Amino acid sequence: MGIPLVLCKKNRILLKELTKTDFKLRYQGSVLGYLWALLRPLMMFAILYIVFAKLLRFGNDIPHYPVYLLCGTTMWSFFTECTSQGLQAMITRGDLIRKVSFPKYIVVVSSTLTAVINMLINLFVVIVFALINGVTPSWTWLLVPVFLLELYALSLGISFLLGAINVRYRDVMSIWDVLVQALFYAVPIIYPISMVAGTSALAAKVILANPIAQAIQDIRFNLITTETTTTWNFLDSWALKIVPIIVVIVILIWGSLYFRKRSKHFAEEI
Amino acid sequence: MSEDFAIKVTNLHKSFKLPTERSWGLKQAFFNRLRGIKGFKEYHVLNGISFNVKPGEFVGIVGRNGSGKSTLLKTIAQIYYPEKGSVEINGTLVPFIELGVGFNPELSGRENVYLNGALLGFSNKEMEAMYDEIVDFAELKPFMDQKLKNFSSGMQVRLAFSIAIRAKGDILLLDEVLAVGDAAFQQKCNDYFASLHGNQTVILVTHSMENVRKFCDRAILIENGKIVLDGNPEKVAKAYMDLWKK
Repeated sequence: MGIPLVLCKKNRILLKELTKTDFKLRYQGSVLGYLWALLRPLMMFAILYIVFAKLLRFGNDIPHYPVYLLCGTTMWSFFTECTSQGLQAMITRGDLIRKVSFPKYIVVVSSTLTAVINMLINLFVVIVFALINGVTPSWTWLLVPVFLLELYALSLGISFLLGAINVRYRDVMSIWDVLVQALFYAVPIIYPISMVAGTSALAAKVILANPIAQAIQDIRFNLITTETTTTWNFLDSWALKIVPIIVVIVILIWGSLYFRKRSKHFAEEI
Repeated sequence: MSEDFAIKVTNLHKSFKLPTERSWGLKQAFFNRLRGIKGFKEYHVLNGISFNVKPGEFVGIVGRNGSGKSTLLKTIAQIYYPEKGSVEINGTLVPFIELGVGFNPELSGRENVYLNGALLGFSNKEMEAMYDEIVDFAELKPFMDQKLKNFSSGMQVRLAFSIAIRAKGDILLLDEVLAVGDAAFQQKCNDYFASLHGNQTVILVTHSMENVRKFCDRAILIENGKIVLDGNPEKVAKAYMDLWKK
């Protein structure tokens, strides 16, 4: 058992069917159904846009600020949805874990894949808005999937790590909820990084060493405007620039190994 | 003749750490550590179980509630990991020990069939091919587009049973599944089990001595995580009944 990159046929079937079920169940019983996958983030965006762009006048120095903001909130929603679903996957699928023998990571991956589907739908909306807003399509758009993958790798690593602990200590779920709230302000989604850099350059550097901030800024840089401040153009030394990448790799490997080590006890502990 | 077994269980031990007080949280775990309390008690559920099952053998496992039957079955199914001892399997295992695992009340009967099939390793295509047969066997044709929560419990079990018997594997592990449905459906189930006899390796955990006598080639009586008697179903059924006479 492990986390093989190539799934055998049986596991692939299971992964597909579980993902389908998760996606179907998410909006089960609501009138608008799948439309909520689009509406929820758009409404969140509307609130943030009114408060921060219109009332507080953030982002005057950033071109295409509304799309820039929408892109950021979309990616942030992806990260939070991915981790909170992945984190709870073992609990929600407890009956399977207790009664069927199968590689447990499938449960985590299937629940995060629902977030991936939602994100892709929303990314499409971002692109439509970007075009309407006058962003010109560019070859750098092709780089966006790289950073999406990075963000997904990070979310998956966190899901494995915290999900495995969560089986034993359900407190993790609540702690993560609060932590995500704090992280939201530690990532330059609603405020432009220049605002922080104005008061403290060091604080801005610390913010950009965070892999979530790095990935989101890079996606904005490549998708919306090259005037985005990114880890690459703001941090000066190479040693600092690779911090986010190292953090992602360490969390993914550590999370996977810890999950694998604990997974044989899940059936008894859950 | 090392290949002459389907399942080989050797000196199997398994214990569970059950919390003595609520230690299912960080706070309690922290305080327990401070106070030097372990916070759990070990229950030895399996205490050195060894037996072999030959290919094609139909073996019944019986015992009181809490004697370790289900734990044994789950350990053979590789859901639980043994602490000591080993389980060797020759062939593929049908990973079902209970009916209707993964059934979701919010999904329709049809969707549940596909989901349940996926747990048995069947792709969408393969399920499509046998979908009609499954529904016919379960006698649930008019209900398949209803949500599963609107099915009666008997209907749910019938559906689950009809899918489960599609599973192809060398070894079938079953936990208390024979008492499903009404008399007519029971007859169908009995026919199915009778058809397995001699063709398929089956381990059946049950409380029904009637079924032990009817289907099993051999039976094993378990008490306190140990094998008390292993052999002729008739004798084992009698010993099981005698447990309550003492």
